[in-house]
Amino acid sequence: MSTRWDSIRFTVNGQPRTVHAPPMKRLLDVLREDLHLTGTKEGCGEGECGSCSVRMNGELVNSCLVPVLQAEGAQIQTVEGLAPDLDSGGALHPLQEAFLHCGGAQCGICTPGMLMAAAQLIERHPHPSQAEIREGLAGNLCRCTGFARIFASVVAAATHAAPEQEPDAR
Amino acid sequence: MSTAATTRSQTRIVGAPVPRKEGIDKLVGRAQYVDDLTREGMFYGATVRSTIPRGLIRSIAFDPHIAWCDFTIVTAKDIPGKNHIQLIVADQPCLAETQVNHCDEPILLLAHPDKHKLLAAVAAVHIEYDPLPAVFSIEESESQKEIILGEDNLIKSFLLEKGDVDSAWARAAHIVEGEYRTGPQEHLYIENNGMIAEWSAEDGITVWGSLQCPYYVHKTLRAVFDLPDEKVRVIQTETGGAFGGKEDYPSVLASHAGLLAMKSGHAVKMVYDRMEDLAATTKRHPSRIRHRTALDADGKLLAMEIDLATDGGAYSTLSATVLSRATLHACGPYVCPNIRLRSRAWATNHVPYGAFRGFGAPQAIFAMERHMDAIAAALHIDPPIDPVELRRRNFLHQGDRNATDQLMREPVILDQLLDRALAESDYHAKRARYARENLASPVKRGMGIAAFYHGSGFTGSGELYLNSLAGVDVTPDEKVRVLVSNTEFGQGTNTILTQIAAEALGLEFSDVTMVPPDTAHIPNSGPTVASRTGMVVGRIIERACLQLLALLRESAGLQEKSTREQFFAACRRFRAAHGKVESLCYYEAPPGIHWDDATYHGEAYGAYAWAVYVAQVAVDTVTYSAEVEDFWAVQEVGRVLHPVLATGQIEGGVAQAIGYALYEKVVLENGRMANNQMTNYIMPTAEDVPPIHVVFEEIPFRYGGYGAKGIGELPHDGPAPAILNAIRDATGVPFNAIPLLPEDLFATLAAREHPENLWEPVAS
Amino acid sequence: MRGDPEAHELIAPGNLAAVLQLLAAEPGAWTPIAGGTELMVAHAAGRLTARKLVSLWEIPDLRFIRVDEGTIAIGAGVPFIDLRRNAAIAAQLPLLARAASWLGSIANQSRATLGGNLVNGSPAADSSPALLAYDAQVELISARGRRTLPYEKFHTGYKRTALAPDELLLAVHLPRRFARHRQYLRKVGTRRAMAIAKVALAGTALVEENVVRELRLGAASVAPYPTRLYRTEEAILGNSITEETIRTARRALLAEIAPIDDIRSVAEYRRRVAANLVEEFLRELMHSAAPVDAPLMNAALAAWNSADESTALTQMLACCGARRWASAMVAMRPVQDQEALLAVADRIWAAMEEPDWREAFACHPRIGERKAAHASAPPSAQKSAQWSRQEQSGAAQAEARVLEELARGNAQYEERFGFTYIVCATGKSAEEMLDLLNRRLGSDRATELREAAEQQRQITEIRLRKWMAA
Repeated sequence: MSTRWDSIRFTVNGQPRTVHAPPMKRLLDVLREDLHLTGTKEGCGEGECGSCSVRMNGELVNSCLVPVLQAEGAQIQTVEGLAPDLDSGGALHPLQEAFLHCGGAQCGICTPGMLMAAAQLIERHPHPSQAEIREGLAGNLCRCTGFARIFASVVAAATHAAPEQEPDAR
Repeated sequence: MSTAATTRSQTRIVGAPVPRKEGIDKLVGRAQYVDDLTREGMFYGATVRSTIPRGLIRSIAFDPHIAWCDFTIVTAKDIPGKNHIQLIVADQPCLAETQVNHCDEPILLLAHPDKHKLLAAVAAVHIEYDPLPAVFSIEESESQKEIILGEDNLIKSFLLEKGDVDSAWARAAHIVEGEYRTGPQEHLYIENNGMIAEWSAEDGITVWGSLQCPYYVHKTLRAVFDLPDEKVRVIQTETGGAFGGKEDYPSVLASHAGLLAMKSGHAVKMVYDRMEDLAATTKRHPSRIRHRTALDADGKLLAMEIDLATDGGAYSTLSATVLSRATLHACGPYVCPNIRLRSRAWATNHVPYGAFRGFGAPQAIFAMERHMDAIAAALHIDPPIDPVELRRRNFLHQGDRNATDQLMREPVILDQLLDRALAESDYHAKRARYARENLASPVKRGMGIAAFYHGSGFTGSGELYLNSLAGVDVTPDEKVRVLVSNTEFGQGTNTILTQIAAEALGLEFSDVTMVPPDTAHIPNSGPTVASRTGMVVGRIIERACLQLLALLRESAGLQEKSTREQFFAACRRFRAAHGKVESLCYYEAPPGIHWDDATYHGEAYGAYAWAVYVAQVAVDTVTYSAEVEDFWAVQEVGRVLHPVLATGQIEGGVAQAIGYALYEKVVLENGRMANNQMTNYIMPTAEDVPPIHVVFEEIPFRYGGYGAKGIGELPHDGPAPAILNAIRDATGVPFNAIPLLPEDLFATLAAREHPENLWEPVAS
Repeated sequence: MRGDPEAHELIAPGNLAAVLQLLAAEPGAWTPIAGGTELMVAHAAGRLTARKLVSLWEIPDLRFIRVDEGTIAIGAGVPFIDLRRNAAIAAQLPLLARAASWLGSIANQSRATLGGNLVNGSPAADSSPALLAYDAQVELISARGRRTLPYEKFHTGYKRTALAPDELLLAVHLPRRFARHRQYLRKVGTRRAMAIAKVALAGTALVEENVVRELRLGAASVAPYPTRLYRTEEAILGNSITEETIRTARRALLAEIAPIDDIRSVAEYRRRVAANLVEEFLRELMHSAAPVDAPLMNAALAAWNSADESTALTQMLACCGARRWASAMVAMRPVQDQEALLAVADRIWAAMEEPDWREAFACHPRIGERKAAHASAPPSAQKSAQWSRQEQSGAAQAEARVLEELARGNAQYEERFGFTYIVCATGKSAEEMLDLLNRRLGSDRATELREAAEQQRQITEIRLRKWMAA
């Protein structure tokens, strides 16, 4: 049986993209196969390991559980979008910098998803507590680090990079 | 800066937290894992597997509703060479031909250009069997009622004897017995096994894949395809975790992908999904270990009799070497004059068990260290002796001999490690406090300890047999390249070997790169296993660098003290004269290594890493769940080459071992893994892993790379016994089997509750 | 990926009416899919049997949280992340907020919807015990019209519900009447996060003069579907909580539930743990069942309950300067009594985040300084300033040396953390406050931020009490 393919438009890392795909194709596969953004990984295919985490409209999602049709019109950010200007001499994202120096990545396969979860966390909690870090990363399984260096990386990134916003003047 | 300006103990780069060599690629999503690669015209492969644990294949039928002409189909008959995987004994077929010996055994392979066509096709291959009785436990196997392997179901056995055990029992003041069991454990690397293969008549076979040991895969492919060395090429892609799980299995998968590639004429990718990887690939060997121990009136070990048995699964694979390491770690870091240790690996109709971080040692150390606490609890000595004191009284020291009569030549600082662990964890004060608080609280807390050592590198004469070759070369564009077959899969191989080369040559970290692991370009420096990379291979690289400097001084005018520029200038002169700048060295054993495989006596390992671990646990009597609240890991691993990576190794190993102790259960039903999903095979998350306090004491080891000893496996050895000892401390109940899940705690703890709680309704 | 994307059709009509039309035209042919956290797992495993799927994701008519007079209505398409973040739910339905935070991971919570959780019909559904304990109603809709039924009647068997083939779950309605109830929720999984409940229990109870007057117990994973524990409730209702009541309750529970052995746990374990949870809840009730005076509504509270919104807001802002907190408090009206008000205040505060905290901190004068931090403070802050003077009276009597040190410490603190040093000053001398300041200067920022938020919570509580006593 063969179904109708749809043209689906969305924005990935700031770039408008259109893909032609079966609507039930997973966003993960569209990113990896159609858009060749292979930074996003598959670890379990059931929303358990978080390796495929991306941000969609400002929320963290497991891209293996999103049928691409539901991404129509969405703003999507993948690991490739964290440091978009790297190739033209731009800097790493503060989280990437911190993971590099604090040992937050070992084998690297959970790293892209972990970075997206950490980015989401820091956006919601610019100065996260240990409990918030643990909760924010609990959906991203890492088998190498025992998580400790990852927690240290997030703390370092939050300490050095979080904007010190003053609350609105009253 | 000048070359070789540093001494071995005062270093610039070794010991510094340089950024991980391949770190940026991994952080920006550029690192290429096997599933990120495609080849032109690539097909996808799938495996048809046995659905029964043991039986004869009666027939294979292809359902006519599938357009089979579009598929490439491979059976055992398509294998040009030998139909087996080349490990220790060649008993595991690449594809089952007449009989299957475990569930999910590969029988037939399919390839198709559209991966979505494979699921239905696999289901449309109908295989009929004449089932045979199957064996699912050590007990069934040793009963030999059904012979499933060889003449006696025995894959391997060892006997280790020291002194005179039989006469010791009569002299003993105390005799303590115990039985300890460990379950299978899944590696759960986050990247599943995967391989891409290409074949051509001219070039032979090339595979790209997620793997630890390129030359292991190379050896199997040579045999399966009956090809000469140069027509087999194995390339490691970025590897997303391994832990031993990509030591033996990639040889199977590479053969499969290769066979499909050869028959289809296309590149073929085979990447397992999680369910297939969990169900079909190797796990840690389950064990049953019985201890009988004699002690004198002072609590000193007089004799140990140990019966150690493992479940090896359906084929021998690496079970013999795993059993060997278990045997050599089973007596712990203690002095005992009389020992008899019989160890056996039994065949069952489970998926073959394989290499996993620690390689038999975690099983053996779990038993020994639980048993030490059982002894402490059983002894009635005045003054009483606690688990800490019992261990202290029996520790090995420099100048003592261990179970294999190996003389401890290097310093042994177990007492110091123990003191540090007790102080860091506040062990005694907490034990006393919890003993009071537990009376009134539904949450019972406790402290537990484990002391252990882990031998670095291959066992006995293994390193000599391996005869590893490694070194460095210098390219015309002034890069030093490290030439090894040792691979990176997260532990830090790239970084530490680069550090060693840069340090030895007096260059910068950025001057040195790794040659991509491709058997066409790298020497065989042995497998990336057994905590050997830093100590053994690191030392070869260090020597090769010193040899290069000597060569350049001798024949290219390099001065004793020279700059980086002078070094590369000397390289240019050398290249002009000799064509290339390369320095390779073979492994050189430390002096005084003698090992007798027949009697299992001698220097089992070139060096040992030592450790004392402490676990603080809380057992909730409402839910019968145990959690590790805090953890201390104090160890001596020789020189720490990279503090961040080394700490990461310990933390990761401890977390994985916490999973081994309390969370991770492989549910086997009729020989098949029933919980082969991440939802149901429970590894600890970021919310479950406690703070892990890591302390290194450093005593550089003369014969290791810049003083390093092995580190990777050590942290998997100690946590499980420390945790179960802590649970014993918290609840007063000895638990002697892992994994220990809430349901297991419940089964014992609930029986001790108020009888009113036991009330159950009468069936109505 | 075992499933074939081309073997399934998926359409997204984008509005509720169109979806209902589709379901009406071919009843049973279309499978609704919202966040996909269940169906997409089956898809990847090659087990998805549905061939035609219709997307409910982000249909506005299904994604709303409405606080009405007597109820909170939650659209079936609301993802769990919204439940967690909603201040009204945090305040009035804390068990639901907590259950939402325990569902899977953040990434699962951003996609999994309340409706999906219920319609899926899993016996282990995370939101179900809380909904049962809160006496939820479910509203179903089809092209034929709407109907409402008690949630406890929604599940009719293992993975079966009362939904007709052309019907959708539209909303869940929860009464706003549990502020004075004791509430309990515990989920037992093998690990802390990403767990599937092996047993879960939620409870709400009204205890008066140590007698249980009202009780609802909802449980997961003890029966083929999430279930109210009526017989257990009956065994407890009308009794005071004694050891005998606890024994009776355990017996009733064991007779009532029928858990199974499966791949995640065993029936015997589930039975015992379920009984332990009921006992744990009852013991909490026993310990907290101090007699409560018949609530004569506090005059200030009564006035606030009926005040216009801006007056009500001003009064709350005087107690705590975080505007999101104050608006959420106002939205909670009417609040019955002092205890309920304080509980609601705490729960809303717990749902606040860093910007809210800092907004609140900035409304306090620096310790030891006589003038407010912001000269242009709005009128609502006049009361606040007066309270600050009372609270910091300890500093008013301080020596110049201590005040100087306080000023230095304050500056150092602000330099280090980026916000004003805040401490619950009531009853503390300047020296004590200086001591605390010096100690807290040694904390890391995240810890200190939380400490400051806790101090603010205490200040708010004291002010709310004063306000009600006035």
